[in-house]
This record gives sequence, C-alpha cells and structure tokens, in this order.
Amino acid sequence: MSLTHLNARGEAHMVDVGDKAETQREAVASGRIVMRPDTLALLAEGGLPKGDVLATARIAGIQAAKRTHELIPLCHALLLSKVSVDFRLDEAASCVHVESRCRLAGRTGVEMEALTAVSVACLTLYDMCKAVDKDMTIDGVCLEHKTGGKSGEWHRAAEEVPATREASETPPVGVAAIRVKFLAELRERLDTEEVEVPVASLKSLDVASLKAALEARDSRFAALSAARILCAVDHAMAHDDTTLREGDEVAFFPPVTGG
Amino acid sequence: MIDVRVQSSVFDVGEEQRYLLAGRCDIGAVVTFTGLVRDVNERPDVQALSLEHYPGMTEAALRDIAEQATSRWPLEGVRIVHRVGRLSPSDPIVMVMVASAHRRAAFDACDFLMDHLKTRAPFWKKEHTASGTYWVSARDSDVRAADRWEEA
Repeated sequence: MSLTHLNARGEAHMVDVGDKAETQREAVASGRIVMRPDTLALLAEGGLPKGDVLATARIAGIQAAKRTHELIPLCHALLLSKVSVDFRLDEAASCVHVESRCRLAGRTGVEMEALTAVSVACLTLYDMCKAVDKDMTIDGVCLEHKTGGKSGEWHRAAEEVPATREASETPPVGVAAIRVKFLAELRERLDTEEVEVPVASLKSLDVASLKAALEARDSRFAALSAARILCAVDHAMAHDDTTLREGDEVAFFPPVTGG
Repeated sequence: MIDVRVQSSVFDVGEEQRYLLAGRCDIGAVVTFTGLVRDVNERPDVQALSLEHYPGMTEAALRDIAEQATSRWPLEGVRIVHRVGRLSPSDPIVMVMVASAHRRAAFDACDFLMDHLKTRAPFWKKEHTASGTYWVSARDSDVRAADRWEEA
C-alpha cells in the first residue's frame, strides 16, 4: 500500500488521472454536531437569530463540495453530477446528523467532496447557532461508503454509536464529584453551563460548602450567594443546609418565570 | 388522574378535555386555564418568546404541585401542558385543566395550580423585541398570589 499523492521521491504531487477509466462513482460521508437540547429545539422551530439554519447549511455544503479542489491541495476539480446534503435532528443524542452524497462519472473518487460538504455544513450549523450555544462540538466526520473506481466498493464497518455529550461529561468512575448546572439568565451571566466539583474540595457535604468551593475556584460564582438565586438538588428545591451526596446533580437558577 | 407534559408542539384544549373525560360519568365540572403569549409585556413590542426549562425537575415539580392540589380538593383529574422553545404572540403557552364533581373545587384548584406553577416550576422566559432580547423578571405579585394559599 502506498500513498498516491506522494511521488517516488516522497514529494507531494497530483496524480495523473488521464489514463484511468471513467466509471460511475459515488461517495457518502457523514458527521454530526452536538448541541444543547434547547439549541436543537430552537433550530427545529426556526427560532435562531440568523434564520433558516438547515437550508443555509445545505447550500454551504453543496457549494463547498464543488470547491473542494480549491481547499485540498492535490484534489482534482471535478464536474459533480450530484451533490446532496441531508440533516437529521436527533433529540435523544441532542445533535444534528449530517450526510452528504456526491456522484459523478469520472476518473477520480468523490470522497473528498462528500467529506468537505459534511464538514462545511457542520461549520455553517455552528456559525448559525453560536449566538446561543458556543459549546457545540463537531465530531464523527467520516466516509460511510464509496463505489466505483479501481478500489471498487468500500463500506465502513458497523461500529458503536459514539457517546453522546451527556455521557462523555459523566465523571470518570472513581472520582467522586458533584455535577453543577447553571440555568437560564444565570448560565448566560456566568458564561458557564456546567461544572464538576470534586467532593474532596468541599468542607462539608452541603449546598453552602458547594457555593464556597465554587467561589474559591472563581470569584464570578459569588453571584450564587445572592438571595434571589435558587438551588435544586437532584431536581428538588434545596437551600444552603441541604445535604449533598456524591454523584448529585445540583442546579442554580434565577427565579422562575413560566406560565 | 394526573397528567403533566412539557412539549414544544402546540396543544389542543378540546382534545385534552376529550382525553380527560373519556369514559367518565362522575365528573360534573371541568375548569381550564389557557395562558397565551402577549405582544406587550416588559416592553411593548414583543415579537417572540423563548422558553427554557430544567428537564427532569420540571416534570417532577408540576407533578408535585398537581399532587398537592388533589390532596387539598376532591379532584377527578388534572392535566397540565406547558410549552417550551420559541413561541410567537397569541400562541398558547400553558394549559391547566382540572376536573371535579362540582365547580367550586375545580375553580379553586385550577387557580392554586397556576399560582404554584408560576412560582415553583423551573421555566424561564426570554422576550425578543425589536429593541433587544432579555430575560423576563419574576414578579412579586406572582409570589404573593402563591403565598395566599399557605394554610395557617
């Protein structure tokens, strides 16, 4: 196996595809962008400040596929016969799955075009949503399958679904910690959605000590001691004396304004 | 008997009432409160509202409030639906539906439920206006409304 973009001297070069047979080629790539559930809900309802997010990301992906040769140094300019970019909103994993399919009759594969389309569609989703969620992550960008050409058909072997963001934020086993969430206006003011506080850093296992440990970590958290800020431990309203157990989820939030 | 839901989609009060009453002949009164998005609130030109909540706690808090109401009045059914996400003026945002044999219990329980929902359920409103976006402040009058139910 050798790298076709390196010549005999190990220098980068563009492969001469003039002698290769023209075949029908297709490549499918996928990826995803993980975001907060409320960001996904805004996206689903068209409530984001920059407008129709998915339509914009789709056009961005298609445009990017057509210009792949300008971005990736040794790629050929291709006359694509088809580029599609599709989105699937996944509430369970709190992400948008992006899939691109590129096709042409030609002498070179279209997997770079499909991967570029997915990447740029994800980047555009990030750009369109970043006003409300800067914590989004783009991951799992990969080739799903390709057909045509000398190497014939290739499919990605089935693998486990990557862990969701919730799962990846769970503290590693053996490190006793309290998960602390900040909600609504408080989250925006602190510019923090969630932190973990090791149980070992608490003087005693109660909410007052948790506030003290957070304030010791960063003076911004002094805001948690304001009388109006409410607190819940494991989804029940709590106060400074409420006892904590390791693994508890503690939330701080401003007075509620529903109804 | 108690049904609480948090959803982004719209609800249909008629449909909710049909579910509540299906197969029941012992209910003599249904009182429903429906809350709507106004275009005038803290500022006079509200274009949209986005509602955030605390998944997990919200459902537990609503259920807890409903259980308090059923222990206080002889109720035959409670349905609470609260929407989250982005809403526009005139959109329905919350529905509290209470069924009882007689009207007085249904009226009072519905009032009690709304007063407590507004002060205890973890929802937060953000208003979008032509002149900017801001989080809605809690009202002292809502706290006083809930306090009047405190038993001596």
